[in-house]
Amino acid sequence: MNTRRAVILAFLVAAGILLQILESFVPVVMLVPGYKIGLANIAGLFALYAYGPKDMMIVTVCRIFLAGLLTGSLFSVGFMLSVSGAILALLAMTLAKRSGLFSIYGVSVAGAAAHSVGQVLAVTAIYQQYFMQMFLPVLLALSIVSGLLIALVTERLLKRMKHTLARSQGRRL
Amino acid sequence: MTKWDKVLIVCLMAVSALLIFPILQGQPKASQAVVSVGSEEKMRLNLNQDGTYAVNGRLGPVNIEVQDGSVRVTQENSPHHYCSRQGWVNSTAVPIVCLPNETVIRIQGEPGAEDTVIQ
Repeated sequence: MNTRRAVILAFLVAAGILLQILESFVPVVMLVPGYKIGLANIAGLFALYAYGPKDMMIVTVCRIFLAGLLTGSLFSVGFMLSVSGAILALLAMTLAKRSGLFSIYGVSVAGAAAHSVGQVLAVTAIYQQYFMQMFLPVLLALSIVSGLLIALVTERLLKRMKHTLARSQGRRL
Repeated sequence: MTKWDKVLIVCLMAVSALLIFPILQGQPKASQAVVSVGSEEKMRLNLNQDGTYAVNGRLGPVNIEVQDGSVRVTQENSPHHYCSRQGWVNSTAVPIVCLPNETVIRIQGEPGAEDTVIQ
């Protein structure tokens, strides 16, 4: 593995952890329990567009586990929701990117929507409370907005980091 | 933004709009609130009778108040107090959820009303 790339991936993991922890301090919307903008996904989306799906998975999985470890919520219910959302989001984003139909905005929105679905599925499975699905339409609608926001930020970042990235994009993993 | 991005976004909007309709319509008249902690049902509150109650959540006691057919959480232990900030609830479609306490308060319709098959 290219050393520059390994370093940048490590930076992305660190930035993702920071964003995730900072975000947990700011309750965004009182309306829907469990709703977050998902700022931490900037790191994952960045890795997807800078390198590829495999690197996104590395960044996101490391970020979730390390953030869980740092906040002391490893393997708690909230952590499980995060993991199940992330698995679906990673799948959706990889598929959306591979299909070649979507721009970064479509990929991000697909990921955000899949994350909501994954969370609701996990809550349903853990608590056996089927009414939780009532939050799904609201979460889905909000995830469109947050997906677009994340894509906007990531696109700007990629543009600004173009020259730094170019030197690390050589060999595959 | 490509054409497919817009298609995806419009589809998602349509799905969330369609999903919301079956939830908003046909709510039976509320009469009972079910309080559960984890997967266990702790108590059933009669909404026609005012009173205050308490259950033991994961982080301590959760105090519940019933008045005029509505229910609310008055005091509980959690990082953001979402459930007590939510205030009064009288709809069967709106549960009060306190995830840190694993406590859920759900209003049910007339007992048995939902299970009747109308022919």
